[in-house]
Amino acid sequence: MALSSAQPYLCAVIRLRAIQQILQWEWALEYRRSNGWFLPLLFAAMVGYLCSLLVREPSPTVWLALLWMTMVFSALQTALRSFAATPGQWLYLNQLVAPTELLVGKTITTALNCLLVTWTGLALFSLWLGWPHLPEEMGQVPLWPFVVSLSLGAVAISSTLSFTAALASKIERGTGIMAILSLPLLLPTLLIAMRASKLALLGTPIAELYPNWAGEILMAGLPLALGGLLFPYLWRS
Amino acid sequence: MKAWKILGVALVGYSLFAGLTADVPRLVILNETIRNLYFHVPMWFTMIALLGGSLAYSLRFLRSGGNGEPVNLDRDRQARAFAEVAMMFSLLGLFTGMVWAKSTWGTYWTADPKLNGTAVTLLIYAAYFILRSSVDDAEKRARLAAVYNVFAFVLMIVFIGILPRMTDSLHPGNGGNPAFGSYDLDNGMRLVFYPAVIGWILMGWWIASLRVRLDRLTAQQTPA
Repeated sequence: MALSSAQPYLCAVIRLRAIQQILQWEWALEYRRSNGWFLPLLFAAMVGYLCSLLVREPSPTVWLALLWMTMVFSALQTALRSFAATPGQWLYLNQLVAPTELLVGKTITTALNCLLVTWTGLALFSLWLGWPHLPEEMGQVPLWPFVVSLSLGAVAISSTLSFTAALASKIERGTGIMAILSLPLLLPTLLIAMRASKLALLGTPIAELYPNWAGEILMAGLPLALGGLLFPYLWRS
Repeated sequence: MKAWKILGVALVGYSLFAGLTADVPRLVILNETIRNLYFHVPMWFTMIALLGGSLAYSLRFLRSGGNGEPVNLDRDRQARAFAEVAMMFSLLGLFTGMVWAKSTWGTYWTADPKLNGTAVTLLIYAAYFILRSSVDDAEKRARLAAVYNVFAFVLMIVFIGILPRMTDSLHPGNGGNPAFGSYDLDNGMRLVFYPAVIGWILMGWWIASLRVRLDRLTAQQTPA
């Protein structure tokens, strides 16, 4: 594909225009012409409600574990949707953008969708399950470090999931295999994100959270960079 | 028979003999189980070496083809065989570790970072074999498997190589536990341990290359 020199670039090979086209495409197809975006949200709500029926007044650890489980499986739903398109739609998209641009664009949309699901899930969890009871002596714990930990975790998860979703989309009946391919790869991300959010939930000083946030950002960037390098090989058909 | 195969047999033979008979330091709790260093730890070195080989073959597969040339499916065969043999070594490492853990930690399994790493590695490569079996077209299977192999290998290295250093482990040499650290590994033990590592890597490489040869012969017998 010939790249004209007048276009703004994100880095050497990714054109901002292509990313914009993918976002517009996603907005038109997922949000305006269908209710596809609603599916993972509904999934999160259902699992969240199920959790509230199964557990009454969970401890902070259990509460957080349930929240993450809900998030991971909703994120799987989200990512699965991001690479589900008809052959005709792929033909059109593949002419507009290069493979690496496609992965970056799809990762951005998956991450945004995952953030939406995460924040909704958090709101519903605090509504249905209540906020976990912390020991009295800890006093008021600020909310924003917890939300930051959770959000960074959601972005990190979606960066791995976009790649595995693309891989699964190349396999016939690949939706079943998606979870098997992704979950072991998500473990490092999840362990870091879990620790970051647990520390934040228990009111740990911010300075101790920074290394964990850096870890989450690393686990968002590394799969994306690696995926960007490998994606042209995957997408060749 | 090539020299490196003879060397592998000799080194493993030496490590088996010396590992069971040579003098070892007496440490509290560990006692004679310290000898497991010669048998358990080389399994992990071999697993990583073979997975590295598998990664290299996957990369070489992805680089093959293009310019009108066909892709080199033999590289894919090699990548698969090396991953398979690596999984065998990881199971051996797991079992030798579990037996040892029962006598020193009192349990077969615990939530230790290194055990998590093993579990993840086994799951990742189980998924790799599942992925292979769910694609029918040989060329597509090779391509998807190679891409997954590279992606998974890097994340696995992050998991088993970087994360455990951020937390404590029950393993000897970590978190104040004695035995396998750069400062306190006994010099006499090094003389058995390093040959054992090299010997087992050579043996693993040999097994994997036999597996490749068997696969090639099978492929010749049954034309695609």
